[in-house]
Amino acid sequence: MTDVPSAEFNIRDYLRTELFPHFMCPGCGHGIALRALLWALHELGISKDNLAVVSGIGCSGRVGAYIDANTFHTTHGRPLAFATGLKLARPDLKVVVLTGDGDCLAIGGNHLIHACRRNLNITCLLLNNEVYGMTGGQVSPTTTEARYTTTTPSGNHEPAFDACKLAEAAGAGFVGREMTLQTPALKNLVKEGMSHNGFAFIEVLSDCTEIYGRKNDLGESPEMILAQKAEFRSKDYGMERDEVFQPRSLATGVLSRNDHEEYTAAYRKHVLSKASS
Amino acid sequence: MAVASAKPAPRAVARPQNVLIVGVGGQGVIMVSKVLASLCQLQGYDVKQSQVHGMAKRGGTVFSHVRYGERVYSPTIPEGEADVLVALEWAEGMRWLPYLEQKNGTVFVDTQQIVPPFACRNRHRGAVGGYVRETVADIMAHVPNSFALDALGIATALGVPKASNSVLLGAMSTALEFPPDDWKEIIERFVPPKTVQANLKCFDSGRDWALSFDRDGLLEKHAESAPLTVETPREKPDDLSHIDIEANWCKGCDICVRFCPERCLVMNDQQIAEVAYPERCTGCRICEWLCPDFAITVKTPGAVA
Repeated sequence: MTDVPSAEFNIRDYLRTELFPHFMCPGCGHGIALRALLWALHELGISKDNLAVVSGIGCSGRVGAYIDANTFHTTHGRPLAFATGLKLARPDLKVVVLTGDGDCLAIGGNHLIHACRRNLNITCLLLNNEVYGMTGGQVSPTTTEARYTTTTPSGNHEPAFDACKLAEAAGAGFVGREMTLQTPALKNLVKEGMSHNGFAFIEVLSDCTEIYGRKNDLGESPEMILAQKAEFRSKDYGMERDEVFQPRSLATGVLSRNDHEEYTAAYRKHVLSKASS
Repeated sequence: MAVASAKPAPRAVARPQNVLIVGVGGQGVIMVSKVLASLCQLQGYDVKQSQVHGMAKRGGTVFSHVRYGERVYSPTIPEGEADVLVALEWAEGMRWLPYLEQKNGTVFVDTQQIVPPFACRNRHRGAVGGYVRETVADIMAHVPNSFALDALGIATALGVPKASNSVLLGAMSTALEFPPDDWKEIIERFVPPKTVQANLKCFDSGRDWALSFDRDGLLEKHAESAPLTVETPREKPDDLSHIDIEANWCKGCDICVRFCPERCLVMNDQQIAEVAYPERCTGCRICEWLCPDFAITVKTPGAVA
């Protein structure tokens, strides 16, 4: 890592511009999340050669393909498993995992738990749009109760998952959540997470406007983004008050951090000590 | 009001004395006027007080008229007849200056500036705000009996910034011929018990300040120093922000159009975002941040990256 470059952030330096316009639907929040990630990388001064982005399957997986860096498009639910191998082989690389709610919590739920438990020095961005967007809008573990999807025509009756609580309980070194509406705050959170020596789990509250929004009559993309303002609250606000007035509200900001030992360093130390004895 | 102690004979005043107290909601204008009104009542005068507050709570303009004399018929002070004007904020003092009696009126004004949102309507970088331009030197040249003091600074130095109104009360007490002990007695009744000592200290500081006020010295000091409101004229057209839209990348999601606080952008016939009013852009970059398609780039010359 080098010092913060003085040049102004120009997102096109970090994009594969020949692939544009990208394949995401109009108003998809994933684009904003990608901007925040690239902005954070720019401010941290991480060079593109030093960066490896691992992504899974789904709309969130496709986001990685537009980054002009070492990108790695892996199988459904397994980006964290691939990233673990990559980080262990090349600890010098800055590894970022882009994954979605279906990818990370349903199909790859187990990998998330163990990545958190090992506290590997990678940054995991969970782009949560509450639905399986690419495959046609099936219900996902984070779909809000009573909302409609193609597989829940009478409304979702399952309780929704709080991914941050899961990551915290599994031992992730850094857990945070932010919405796409607050792009600079999201950028700062990603920066903070990437600076943390350990597993950084960041839930990005994104929008699926074309499938989820349309099916649930949540309005067009501006309305969906504005709705984030009402539904999510900074952690600075007391959550007790929110539970009364905003039953769906989720805390945003840095939710927890610990200083457990980082896995790659611990692993090398352990292996070397065995090899020398 | 239950102030029933020994009433001395009222001093003969030819016409009612008019005191106008103005400020911004939350500063303690009403407290100052209540103290004054009670004191006058205690001294045996007929007192009428009327005030405007409520909608002005926290940030708006507040004023309070206090009239006392042998007999007072109307509760409001006519324009140009206030004997004493007490302003807890600089712009409010300027606003109410026409109410002051031209020849012998005394004005006490705090140099504290509370800039209202209405003075910030031009949100371009380097734009001149709509706040008053008069400086301390201007006022002192215009009004013979003027006292411009940094009441907030005095109160902050004493550790109680909230009691800046007591500092002004102390300064004002020099213009009205009531003994200081009577003032203090009334202040003790009005302020919360825990803050009595702090308020009395502020009152004394304000009174001492006004008694030892060196008009000529201050006038010289302010004549040399820069005006209170710093004007930074906007340079055209280099300072204008420029919005660059890559039409091929835009998918017409409408986010930029709806989120722009200055409403610079519109959707054209092909559902592509277009800059309709480039001169309105203040370079806030909200459209750039929220564009999911990376189609918008805002260039602000001279901005801190």
